[in-house]
Amino acid sequence: MYNIEVGLPDPDKVFDMIILGGGPTALGCAIYAARFAMDILVIGKVYGGLIMTTHIVENYPGITSVSGTRLMEMFRDHINSLSIQYISDEIRSIEKEDNHFVLKSYFGKFKALTVLLATGSERRKLGIPGEEEFTGRGVSYCATCDGPFFTDKVLAVIGGSDSAAKEALFLAQHAKKVYIIYRREEIRAEPINKKRVYENKKIEIINNTNIVEIKGDESGVKSVIFDNGREFEVDGVFIEIGSDPNSILAKRIGVERNVKGEIIINRKSETNIPGIYAAGDVADSPFKQAITGVSEGVTAAYAAFDYLKNVKIEY
Amino acid sequence: MAKLTKPVNLKVFTSQRTEANGSKIRACMDCGQFMSLLRIYEGNSNGKLTIEELSIDDNPEFAKRYDIQRVPTVLFIDDKGREVIRYLAAPQAGEIQPFIQAIFAFAGAPNYYEATIKQNLNRINPSTIKVMITNSCPYCPQVATIANLFAIASDGKIRTIIVDIATNPDIGQYYDAAGVPYTIVNDQKAISGMVGPDVILRSLIGGNIHVQY
Repeated sequence: MYNIEVGLPDPDKVFDMIILGGGPTALGCAIYAARFAMDILVIGKVYGGLIMTTHIVENYPGITSVSGTRLMEMFRDHINSLSIQYISDEIRSIEKEDNHFVLKSYFGKFKALTVLLATGSERRKLGIPGEEEFTGRGVSYCATCDGPFFTDKVLAVIGGSDSAAKEALFLAQHAKKVYIIYRREEIRAEPINKKRVYENKKIEIINNTNIVEIKGDESGVKSVIFDNGREFEVDGVFIEIGSDPNSILAKRIGVERNVKGEIIINRKSETNIPGIYAAGDVADSPFKQAITGVSEGVTAAYAAFDYLKNVKIEY
Repeated sequence: MAKLTKPVNLKVFTSQRTEANGSKIRACMDCGQFMSLLRIYEGNSNGKLTIEELSIDDNPEFAKRYDIQRVPTVLFIDDKGREVIRYLAAPQAGEIQPFIQAIFAFAGAPNYYEATIKQNLNRINPSTIKVMITNSCPYCPQVATIANLFAIASDGKIRTIIVDIATNPDIGQYYDAAGVPYTIVNDQKAISGMVGPDVILRSLIGGNIHVQY
Protein backbone atom coordinates (compact mmCIF):
# COMPACT_ATOMS: atom_id res chain seq x y z
CA MET A 1 0.00 0.00 0.00
CA TYR A 2 2.87 2.34 0.57
CA ASN A 3 3.90 2.76 -3.02
CA ILE A 4 1.59 5.17 -4.76
CA GLU A 5 1.36 3.22 -7.98
CA VAL A 6 1.08 -0.51 -7.37
CA GLY A 7 -0.40 -2.71 -10.05
CA LEU A 8 -0.52 -6.44 -10.59
CA PRO A 9 2.93 -7.71 -11.65
CA ASP A 10 3.26 -9.75 -14.84
CA PRO A 11 2.20 -13.28 -13.76
CA ASP A 12 4.99 -14.83 -15.87
CA LYS A 13 7.74 -12.80 -14.28
CA VAL A 14 9.97 -14.86 -11.96
CA PHE A 15 11.17 -12.83 -8.97
CA ASP A 16 14.41 -13.69 -7.24
CA MET A 17 12.59 -13.58 -3.95
CA ILE A 18 9.06 -13.00 -2.73
CA ILE A 19 8.90 -11.91 0.89
CA LEU A 20 5.69 -12.71 2.72
CA GLY A 21 5.05 -10.37 5.61
CA GLY A 22 4.76 -6.70 6.39
CA GLY A 23 6.68 -6.31 9.62
CA PRO A 24 10.28 -5.39 10.47
CA THR A 25 11.50 -8.92 9.64
CA ALA A 26 10.10 -8.85 6.11
CA LEU A 27 11.16 -5.29 5.42
CA GLY A 28 14.64 -5.80 6.87
CA CYS A 29 15.08 -8.72 4.48
CA ALA A 30 13.70 -6.61 1.61
CA ILE A 31 16.19 -3.80 2.23
CA TYR A 32 19.16 -6.16 2.13
CA ALA A 33 17.84 -8.18 -0.81
CA ALA A 34 17.31 -4.99 -2.81
CA ARG A 35 20.85 -3.91 -2.02
CA PHE A 36 22.05 -7.33 -3.27
CA ALA A 37 20.33 -6.31 -6.55
CA MET A 38 17.81 -9.13 -6.17
CA ASP A 39 14.50 -8.69 -7.97
CA ILE A 40 12.01 -8.86 -5.10
CA LEU A 41 8.39 -8.33 -4.18
CA VAL A 42 6.94 -7.95 -0.68
CA ILE A 43 3.39 -9.19 -0.05
CA GLY A 44 2.06 -8.44 3.41
CA LYS A 45 -1.28 -9.06 5.06
CA VAL A 46 -0.67 -6.26 7.55
CA TYR A 47 1.83 -3.52 6.84
CA GLY A 48 4.03 -3.02 9.89
CA GLY A 49 2.96 -6.18 11.66
CA LEU A 50 2.21 -6.37 15.37
CA ILE A 51 4.78 -3.74 16.30
CA MET A 52 2.46 -1.12 14.80
CA THR A 53 0.37 -1.43 17.94
CA THR A 54 3.29 -0.86 20.29
CA HIS A 55 3.00 2.66 21.60
CA ILE A 56 6.65 2.93 22.57
CA VAL A 57 9.76 1.08 21.36
CA GLU A 58 12.86 1.80 23.42
CA ASN A 59 15.11 -1.11 22.52
CA TYR A 60 15.75 -0.69 18.80
CA PRO A 61 19.43 0.27 18.59
CA GLY A 62 20.06 3.76 17.35
CA ILE A 63 16.58 5.01 18.22
CA THR A 64 16.15 5.98 21.85
CA SER A 65 12.38 6.06 21.85
CA VAL A 66 9.83 5.80 19.07
CA SER A 67 6.27 4.59 18.59
CA GLY A 68 5.84 1.33 16.69
CA THR A 69 3.86 3.16 14.03
CA ARG A 70 6.58 5.77 13.56
CA LEU A 71 9.27 3.08 13.43
CA MET A 72 7.42 1.36 10.62
CA GLU A 73 6.98 4.68 8.82
CA MET A 74 10.76 4.92 8.88
CA PHE A 75 10.99 1.39 7.45
CA ARG A 76 8.48 2.47 4.79
CA ASP A 77 10.59 5.45 3.81
CA HIS A 78 13.59 3.15 3.60
CA ILE A 79 11.91 0.59 1.32
CA ASN A 80 10.44 3.38 -0.82
CA SER A 81 13.92 4.84 -1.25
CA LEU A 82 14.97 1.49 -2.74
CA SER A 83 11.84 1.33 -4.96
CA ILE A 84 10.76 -1.91 -3.30
CA GLN A 85 7.24 -2.87 -4.32
CA TYR A 86 4.88 -3.69 -1.44
CA ILE A 87 1.47 -5.27 -1.98
CA SER A 88 -1.24 -5.57 0.65
CA ASP A 89 -2.60 -9.08 0.22
CA GLU A 90 -2.50 -12.59 1.67
CA ILE A 91 -1.00 -15.54 -0.19
CA ARG A 92 -3.13 -18.67 0.17
CA SER A 93 -1.02 -21.25 -1.68
CA ILE A 94 2.57 -21.98 -2.65
CA GLU A 95 3.54 -24.74 -5.07
CA LYS A 96 6.86 -25.84 -6.48
CA GLU A 97 7.02 -25.77 -10.28
CA ASP A 98 10.29 -26.60 -12.05
CA ASN A 99 12.96 -24.53 -10.32
CA HIS A 100 10.63 -21.89 -8.89
CA PHE A 101 7.66 -21.45 -6.59
CA VAL A 102 4.19 -20.31 -7.67
CA LEU A 103 2.28 -18.25 -5.12
CA LYS A 104 -1.42 -17.47 -5.43
CA SER A 105 -3.79 -15.11 -3.69
CA TYR A 106 -7.33 -14.08 -4.62
CA PHE A 107 -5.85 -11.09 -6.42
CA GLY A 108 -2.72 -12.35 -8.11
CA LYS A 109 -0.39 -15.14 -9.14
CA PHE A 110 3.34 -14.74 -8.64
CA LYS A 111 6.51 -16.69 -9.35
CA ALA A 112 9.74 -16.64 -7.37
CA LEU A 113 12.95 -18.61 -7.11
CA THR A 114 12.99 -18.17 -3.33
CA VAL A 115 10.41 -17.29 -0.68
CA LEU A 116 10.77 -15.83 2.79
CA LEU A 117 8.02 -16.65 5.26
CA ALA A 118 7.95 -13.70 7.64
CA THR A 119 4.27 -14.03 8.33
CA GLY A 120 4.58 -13.17 12.00
CA SER A 121 2.09 -14.11 14.64
CA GLU A 122 -1.47 -13.36 15.55
CA ARG A 123 -2.88 -12.17 18.86
CA ARG A 124 -4.11 -15.02 20.99
CA LYS A 125 -7.73 -14.87 22.08
CA LEU A 126 -9.15 -15.79 25.47
CA GLY A 127 -11.94 -17.90 23.99
CA ILE A 128 -14.45 -16.94 26.66
CA PRO A 129 -18.11 -15.92 26.39
CA GLY A 130 -18.56 -12.28 25.41
CA GLU A 131 -15.13 -11.88 23.82
CA GLU A 132 -16.25 -12.15 20.21
CA GLU A 133 -19.62 -10.49 20.84
CA PHE A 134 -18.02 -7.34 22.24
CA THR A 135 -14.95 -7.13 19.99
CA GLY A 136 -14.94 -3.59 18.62
CA ARG A 137 -17.49 -2.60 21.26
CA GLY A 138 -15.25 -2.59 24.32
CA VAL A 139 -13.07 -5.64 23.73
CA SER A 140 -9.85 -4.73 21.95
CA TYR A 141 -6.49 -6.20 21.00
CA CYS A 142 -4.89 -2.84 20.19
CA ALA A 143 -4.46 -0.13 22.80
CA THR A 144 -2.88 2.26 20.32
CA CYS A 145 -5.89 1.92 18.01
CA ASP A 146 -8.65 2.04 20.59
CA GLY A 147 -7.25 3.59 23.77
CA PRO A 148 -8.41 7.12 22.92
CA PHE A 149 -12.04 5.90 22.90
CA PHE A 150 -11.79 5.17 26.63
CA THR A 151 -10.92 8.56 28.07
CA ASP A 152 -11.73 8.64 31.81
CA LYS A 153 -13.05 5.07 31.70
CA VAL A 154 -12.14 2.03 33.79
CA LEU A 155 -10.24 -0.60 31.84
CA ALA A 156 -8.90 -4.11 32.26
CA VAL A 157 -5.73 -5.33 30.58
CA ILE A 158 -5.60 -9.10 30.50
CA GLY A 159 -2.09 -10.57 30.61
CA GLY A 160 1.19 -10.12 32.40
CA SER A 161 3.79 -9.84 29.65
CA ASP A 162 5.94 -6.87 28.80
CA SER A 163 3.46 -6.04 26.04
CA ALA A 164 0.59 -6.10 28.55
CA ALA A 165 2.52 -3.74 30.85
CA LYS A 166 3.17 -1.33 27.98
CA GLU A 167 -0.49 -1.47 26.93
CA ALA A 168 -1.50 -0.61 30.50
CA LEU A 169 0.95 2.30 30.61
CA PHE A 170 -0.42 3.65 27.33
CA LEU A 171 -4.03 3.22 28.39
CA ALA A 172 -3.34 4.96 31.71
CA GLN A 173 -2.69 8.13 29.69
CA HIS A 174 -6.37 8.11 28.68
CA ALA A 175 -8.28 6.07 31.24
CA LYS A 176 -9.34 6.89 34.78
CA LYS A 177 -8.14 3.51 36.04
CA VAL A 178 -6.43 0.49 34.51
CA TYR A 179 -6.44 -2.95 36.12
CA ILE A 180 -3.91 -5.52 34.94
CA ILE A 181 -5.53 -8.89 35.47
CA TYR A 182 -2.98 -11.66 35.45
CA ARG A 183 -3.29 -15.36 36.16
CA ARG A 184 0.06 -15.64 37.95
CA GLU A 185 1.71 -14.12 41.02
CA GLU A 186 3.81 -11.43 39.38
CA ILE A 187 3.79 -9.78 35.95
CA ARG A 188 6.67 -10.73 33.61
CA ALA A 189 7.40 -7.29 32.15
CA GLU A 190 10.92 -6.04 31.54
CA PRO A 191 12.20 -4.50 34.79
CA ILE A 192 12.04 -0.96 33.37
CA ASN A 193 8.36 -1.34 32.44
CA LYS A 194 7.51 -3.23 35.61
CA LYS A 195 8.86 -0.31 37.62
CA ARG A 196 6.79 2.13 35.56
CA VAL A 197 3.66 0.06 36.15
CA TYR A 198 4.25 -0.09 39.91
CA GLU A 199 4.86 3.65 40.05
CA ASN A 200 1.77 4.58 38.03
CA LYS A 201 -1.03 5.47 40.44
CA LYS A 202 -3.69 4.78 37.83
CA ILE A 203 -2.60 1.16 37.39
CA GLU A 204 -3.49 -1.63 39.78
CA ILE A 205 -2.55 -5.29 39.40
CA ILE A 206 -4.98 -8.08 40.23
CA ASN A 207 -2.86 -11.24 40.51
CA ASN A 208 -3.72 -14.92 40.42
CA THR A 209 -6.94 -14.23 38.60
CA ASN A 210 -8.45 -15.37 35.32
CA ILE A 211 -11.49 -13.89 33.67
CA VAL A 212 -14.10 -16.36 32.50
CA GLU A 213 -16.68 -14.08 30.88
CA ILE A 214 -17.12 -10.59 29.50
CA LYS A 215 -20.55 -9.09 30.04
CA GLY A 216 -22.26 -6.05 28.59
CA ASP A 217 -25.28 -4.70 26.81
CA GLU A 218 -26.10 -2.92 23.57
CA SER A 219 -23.86 0.00 24.61
CA GLY A 220 -20.79 -2.22 25.07
CA VAL A 221 -18.78 -3.89 27.82
CA LYS A 222 -19.98 -3.47 31.40
CA SER A 223 -18.05 -6.02 33.45
CA VAL A 224 -15.88 -9.11 33.57
CA ILE A 225 -16.41 -12.22 35.65
CA PHE A 226 -13.43 -13.59 37.57
CA ASP A 227 -12.79 -17.30 38.05
CA ASN A 228 -13.72 -16.89 41.72
CA GLY A 229 -17.20 -15.80 40.60
CA ARG A 230 -16.77 -12.09 41.36
CA GLU A 231 -18.26 -9.63 38.88
CA PHE A 232 -15.93 -6.68 38.28
CA GLU A 233 -17.15 -3.50 36.57
CA VAL A 234 -15.08 -2.21 33.65
CA ASP A 235 -15.81 -0.19 30.52
CA GLY A 236 -13.30 -1.92 28.28
CA VAL A 237 -11.14 -5.03 28.08
CA PHE A 238 -7.75 -5.07 26.34
CA ILE A 239 -6.48 -8.58 25.71
CA GLU A 240 -2.72 -9.10 25.57
CA ILE A 241 -2.03 -12.75 26.28
CA GLY A 242 0.59 -13.49 23.68
CA SER A 243 0.39 -14.63 20.11
CA ASP A 244 0.48 -17.73 17.92
CA PRO A 245 2.65 -18.14 14.81
CA ASN A 246 1.00 -17.58 11.44
CA SER A 247 2.36 -20.78 9.94
CA ILE A 248 -0.65 -22.42 8.27
CA LEU A 249 0.73 -21.68 4.81
CA ALA A 250 4.06 -23.22 5.82
CA LYS A 251 2.27 -26.33 7.05
CA ARG A 252 0.40 -26.70 3.75
CA ILE A 253 3.63 -26.82 1.76
CA GLY A 254 5.41 -29.23 4.06
CA VAL A 255 7.68 -26.83 5.92
CA GLU A 256 8.66 -28.42 9.22
CA ARG A 257 7.25 -26.83 12.37
CA ASN A 258 7.71 -27.50 16.06
CA VAL A 259 4.95 -28.35 18.54
CA LYS A 260 4.14 -24.67 18.98
CA GLY A 261 3.58 -24.33 15.25
CA GLU A 262 6.75 -22.30 14.78
CA ILE A 263 8.78 -22.90 11.63
CA ILE A 264 12.08 -24.67 12.33
CA ILE A 265 15.02 -22.73 10.89
CA ASN A 266 18.79 -23.01 11.02
CA ARG A 267 21.34 -20.23 11.46
CA LYS A 268 20.91 -19.26 7.80
CA SER A 269 17.14 -18.89 8.29
CA GLU A 270 16.70 -21.90 6.00
CA THR A 271 13.75 -24.25 6.40
CA ASN A 272 13.73 -27.93 5.42
CA ILE A 273 12.67 -26.94 1.87
CA PRO A 274 15.52 -25.53 -0.27
CA GLY A 275 14.66 -22.00 -1.40
CA ILE A 276 12.15 -21.40 1.39
CA TYR A 277 13.31 -19.33 4.34
CA ALA A 278 11.59 -18.22 7.52
CA ALA A 279 12.32 -15.50 10.04
CA GLY A 280 10.85 -13.47 12.85
CA ASP A 281 7.87 -14.31 15.05
CA VAL A 282 6.82 -17.23 12.84
CA ALA A 283 10.18 -18.97 13.32
CA ASP A 284 11.33 -21.07 16.27
CA SER A 285 13.68 -18.53 17.82
CA PRO A 286 13.14 -18.30 21.58
CA PHE A 287 13.51 -14.53 21.87
CA LYS A 288 11.14 -12.62 19.62
CA GLN A 289 11.89 -8.96 19.15
CA ALA A 290 11.88 -6.58 16.19
CA ILE A 291 15.65 -6.53 16.20
CA THR A 292 16.02 -10.33 16.25
CA GLY A 293 13.43 -10.63 13.49
CA VAL A 294 15.30 -8.12 11.35
CA SER A 295 18.48 -10.06 11.97
CA GLU A 296 16.91 -13.33 10.83
CA GLY A 297 15.33 -11.61 7.82
CA VAL A 298 18.64 -10.10 6.77
CA THR A 299 20.31 -13.49 7.21
CA ALA A 300 17.66 -15.00 4.93
CA ALA A 301 18.36 -12.33 2.30
CA TYR A 302 22.04 -13.24 2.28
CA ALA A 303 21.37 -17.00 2.26
CA ALA A 304 18.93 -16.59 -0.64
CA PHE A 305 21.43 -14.43 -2.52
CA ASP A 306 23.96 -17.22 -2.13
CA TYR A 307 21.42 -19.92 -3.11
CA LEU A 308 20.39 -18.01 -6.24
CA LYS A 309 23.92 -18.14 -7.65
CA ASN A 310 23.49 -21.91 -8.12
CA VAL A 311 19.83 -21.87 -9.11
CA LYS A 312 20.36 -19.21 -11.75
CA ILE A 313 23.25 -21.16 -13.28
CA GLU A 314 20.99 -24.22 -13.55
CA TYR A 315 18.22 -22.03 -14.95
CA MET B 1 1.41 15.07 -7.54
CA ALA B 2 3.60 15.99 -10.47
CA LYS B 3 3.35 12.33 -11.55
CA LEU B 4 -0.41 12.53 -12.11
CA THR B 5 -1.13 11.62 -15.71
CA LYS B 6 -4.82 12.54 -15.93
CA PRO B 7 -6.88 15.38 -14.49
CA VAL B 8 -8.59 14.80 -11.14
CA ASN B 9 -11.21 17.11 -9.67
CA LEU B 10 -12.06 16.88 -5.99
CA LYS B 11 -15.05 18.65 -4.53
CA VAL B 12 -14.31 19.76 -0.98
CA PHE B 13 -17.23 21.04 1.04
CA THR B 14 -16.39 23.45 3.82
CA SER B 15 -18.28 26.07 5.76
CA GLN B 16 -17.37 29.71 5.31
CA ARG B 17 -18.76 32.53 7.36
CA THR B 18 -18.84 36.01 5.80
CA GLU B 19 -17.62 38.73 8.15
CA ALA B 20 -18.99 42.28 8.27
CA ASN B 21 -16.09 43.52 6.13
CA GLY B 22 -16.88 40.93 3.47
CA SER B 23 -13.97 38.61 4.24
CA LYS B 24 -14.65 34.91 4.62
CA ILE B 25 -13.58 32.71 7.50
CA ARG B 26 -13.76 28.94 7.46
CA ALA B 27 -16.01 27.93 10.32
CA CYS B 28 -14.99 24.28 10.66
CA MET B 29 -11.99 23.55 12.81
CA ASP B 30 -10.12 21.19 10.46
CA CYS B 31 -11.01 22.89 7.18
CA GLY B 32 -8.35 25.62 7.10
CA GLN B 33 -5.34 23.36 7.63
CA PHE B 34 -6.75 20.70 5.33
CA MET B 35 -7.45 23.19 2.53
CA SER B 36 -3.91 24.57 2.86
CA LEU B 37 -2.55 21.06 2.35
CA LEU B 38 -4.81 20.42 -0.62
CA ARG B 39 -3.75 23.71 -2.22
CA ILE B 40 -0.10 22.58 -1.94
CA TYR B 41 -0.96 19.31 -3.69
CA GLU B 42 -2.88 21.24 -6.32
CA GLY B 43 0.04 23.62 -6.85
CA ASN B 44 2.46 20.73 -7.33
CA SER B 45 0.31 18.82 -9.82
CA ASN B 46 1.14 20.67 -13.04
CA GLY B 47 -2.52 21.57 -13.33
CA LYS B 48 -3.73 17.94 -13.14
CA LEU B 49 -5.34 18.17 -9.68
CA THR B 50 -8.16 20.65 -9.21
CA ILE B 51 -9.52 21.33 -5.75
CA GLU B 52 -12.99 22.81 -5.92
CA GLU B 53 -13.86 24.28 -2.53
CA LEU B 54 -17.57 24.72 -2.06
CA SER B 55 -18.93 26.41 1.03
CA ILE B 56 -22.18 24.86 2.13
CA ASP B 57 -23.24 28.36 3.21
CA ASP B 58 -22.75 29.86 -0.25
CA ASN B 59 -23.76 26.77 -2.21
CA PRO B 60 -26.76 25.27 -0.46
CA GLU B 61 -28.01 23.82 -3.74
CA PHE B 62 -24.73 21.89 -4.18
CA ALA B 63 -24.87 20.74 -0.59
CA LYS B 64 -28.38 19.45 -1.16
CA ARG B 65 -27.52 17.82 -4.48
CA TYR B 66 -24.58 15.93 -2.97
CA ASP B 67 -26.27 15.27 0.38
CA ILE B 68 -23.63 17.12 2.37
CA GLN B 69 -24.47 17.15 6.05
CA ARG B 70 -21.09 17.84 7.61
CA VAL B 71 -17.82 19.53 6.85
CA PRO B 72 -15.26 18.90 5.65
CA THR B 73 -16.58 16.42 3.11
CA VAL B 74 -14.47 15.42 0.12
CA LEU B 75 -16.04 13.81 -2.92
CA PHE B 76 -14.38 11.81 -5.68
CA ILE B 77 -16.88 11.91 -8.54
CA ASP B 78 -16.17 10.00 -11.74
CA ASP B 79 -16.63 11.29 -15.28
CA LYS B 80 -20.12 9.74 -15.38
CA GLY B 81 -21.13 11.82 -12.35
CA ARG B 82 -21.08 8.89 -9.93
CA GLU B 83 -19.77 9.36 -6.42
CA VAL B 84 -16.94 6.87 -5.91
CA ILE B 85 -15.37 7.94 -2.62
CA ARG B 86 -16.62 10.22 0.14
CA TYR B 87 -14.35 11.38 2.94
CA LEU B 88 -16.10 12.59 6.08
CA ALA B 89 -12.70 13.50 7.39
CA ALA B 90 -9.77 15.83 6.99
CA PRO B 91 -7.07 13.18 6.52
CA GLN B 92 -3.93 13.84 8.53
CA ALA B 93 -0.85 11.84 9.56
CA GLY B 94 -1.06 8.24 8.32
CA GLU B 95 -4.43 8.86 6.67
CA ILE B 96 -2.82 11.11 4.07
CA GLN B 97 -1.30 8.06 2.36
CA PRO B 98 -4.57 6.33 1.30
CA PHE B 99 -6.01 9.70 0.32
CA ILE B 100 -3.11 10.40 -2.04
CA GLN B 101 -3.14 6.84 -3.33
CA ALA B 102 -6.85 7.25 -4.11
CA ILE B 103 -6.10 10.41 -6.09
CA PHE B 104 -3.50 8.53 -8.17
CA ALA B 105 -5.69 5.48 -8.73
CA PHE B 106 -8.59 7.78 -9.62
CA ALA B 107 -6.31 9.27 -12.29
CA GLY B 108 -5.72 5.81 -13.73
CA ALA B 109 -2.59 4.66 -11.88
CA PRO B 110 -2.25 0.84 -11.64
CA ASN B 111 -4.70 -0.69 -9.19
CA TYR B 112 -3.62 -4.06 -7.80
CA TYR B 113 -7.16 -5.21 -6.98
CA GLU B 114 -8.73 -4.20 -10.30
CA ALA B 115 -8.53 -7.54 -12.15
CA THR B 116 -10.23 -9.58 -9.44
CA ILE B 117 -12.84 -6.88 -8.76
CA LYS B 118 -13.72 -6.80 -12.45
CA GLN B 119 -13.90 -10.61 -12.66
CA ASN B 120 -16.40 -10.64 -9.80
CA LEU B 121 -18.29 -7.46 -10.72
CA ASN B 122 -21.42 -9.22 -11.95
CA ARG B 123 -21.72 -10.89 -8.53
CA ILE B 124 -21.55 -7.62 -6.61
CA ASN B 125 -24.72 -5.63 -6.03
CA PRO B 126 -24.43 -1.84 -5.78
CA SER B 127 -22.64 -1.54 -2.46
CA THR B 128 -21.27 0.87 0.09
CA ILE B 129 -18.21 0.21 2.21
CA LYS B 130 -17.95 2.46 5.26
CA VAL B 131 -14.58 2.55 7.01
CA MET B 132 -14.48 4.16 10.44
CA ILE B 133 -11.05 5.59 11.17
CA THR B 134 -9.15 7.98 13.37
CA ASN B 135 -6.00 9.82 12.37
CA SER B 136 -3.98 8.02 15.05
CA CYS B 137 -5.04 4.47 14.20
CA PRO B 138 -2.12 2.41 12.83
CA TYR B 139 -4.11 -0.06 10.74
CA CYS B 140 -6.77 2.31 9.39
CA PRO B 141 -4.74 3.55 6.40
CA GLN B 142 -4.44 -0.01 5.10
CA VAL B 143 -8.17 -0.71 5.25
CA ALA B 144 -9.01 2.72 3.80
CA THR B 145 -6.65 2.05 0.89
CA ILE B 146 -8.23 -1.31 0.09
CA ALA B 147 -11.77 0.12 0.25
CA ASN B 148 -10.84 3.12 -1.90
CA LEU B 149 -9.11 0.97 -4.54
CA PHE B 150 -12.09 -1.43 -4.61
CA ALA B 151 -14.43 1.48 -5.31
CA ILE B 152 -12.21 2.93 -8.02
CA ALA B 153 -11.96 -0.49 -9.75
CA SER B 154 -15.68 -1.22 -9.58
CA ASP B 155 -17.05 0.91 -12.40
CA GLY B 156 -19.56 2.57 -10.11
CA LYS B 157 -20.75 -0.59 -8.34
CA ILE B 158 -18.98 0.13 -5.05
CA ARG B 159 -18.93 3.39 -3.14
CA THR B 160 -16.57 3.94 -0.23
CA ILE B 161 -17.19 6.30 2.67
CA ILE B 162 -14.27 7.02 4.99
CA VAL B 163 -15.44 8.43 8.32
CA ASP B 164 -13.18 9.95 10.97
CA ILE B 165 -15.14 9.03 14.08
CA ALA B 166 -12.99 11.23 16.31
CA THR B 167 -14.45 14.26 14.54
CA ASN B 168 -17.79 12.59 13.76
CA PRO B 169 -18.43 10.72 17.03
CA ASP B 170 -22.17 10.51 16.42
CA ILE B 171 -21.56 8.29 13.39
CA GLY B 172 -19.28 6.03 15.45
CA GLN B 173 -21.91 5.80 18.17
CA TYR B 174 -24.64 5.07 15.61
CA TYR B 175 -22.65 2.05 14.42
CA ASP B 176 -21.51 1.03 17.95
CA ALA B 177 -17.87 1.46 16.93
CA ALA B 178 -15.62 1.60 19.98
CA GLY B 179 -12.55 0.61 18.01
CA VAL B 180 -10.93 1.30 14.68
CA PRO B 181 -10.63 0.36 11.92
CA TYR B 182 -14.28 -0.62 11.81
CA THR B 183 -15.56 -1.65 8.40
CA ILE B 184 -19.24 -1.87 7.55
CA VAL B 185 -20.40 -3.41 4.29
CA ASN B 186 -23.82 -2.31 3.11
CA ASP B 187 -24.84 -1.31 6.63
CA GLN B 188 -25.08 -5.00 7.49
CA LYS B 189 -21.78 -6.75 8.08
CA ALA B 190 -19.42 -5.03 10.52
CA ILE B 191 -15.78 -6.10 10.72
CA SER B 192 -13.73 -4.89 13.66
CA GLY B 193 -9.96 -4.40 13.37
CA MET B 194 -7.55 -4.95 10.52
CA VAL B 195 -9.21 -6.67 7.59
CA GLY B 196 -7.70 -7.88 4.34
CA PRO B 197 -8.99 -7.44 0.79
CA ASP B 198 -10.27 -11.00 0.48
CA VAL B 199 -12.52 -10.65 3.52
CA ILE B 200 -14.01 -7.38 2.27
CA LEU B 201 -14.56 -8.81 -1.20
CA ARG B 202 -16.25 -11.92 0.17
CA SER B 203 -18.55 -9.67 2.21
CA LEU B 204 -19.46 -7.77 -0.94
CA ILE B 205 -20.10 -10.93 -2.97
CA GLY B 206 -21.73 -12.93 -0.21
CA GLY B 207 -19.82 -16.00 -1.36
CA ASN B 208 -16.51 -17.27 -2.67
CA ILE B 209 -14.24 -15.17 -4.85
CA HIS B 210 -13.85 -16.27 -8.47
CA VAL B 211 -10.37 -15.74 -9.79
CA GLN B 212 -8.73 -16.56 -13.10
CA TYR B 213 -5.07 -15.63 -13.39
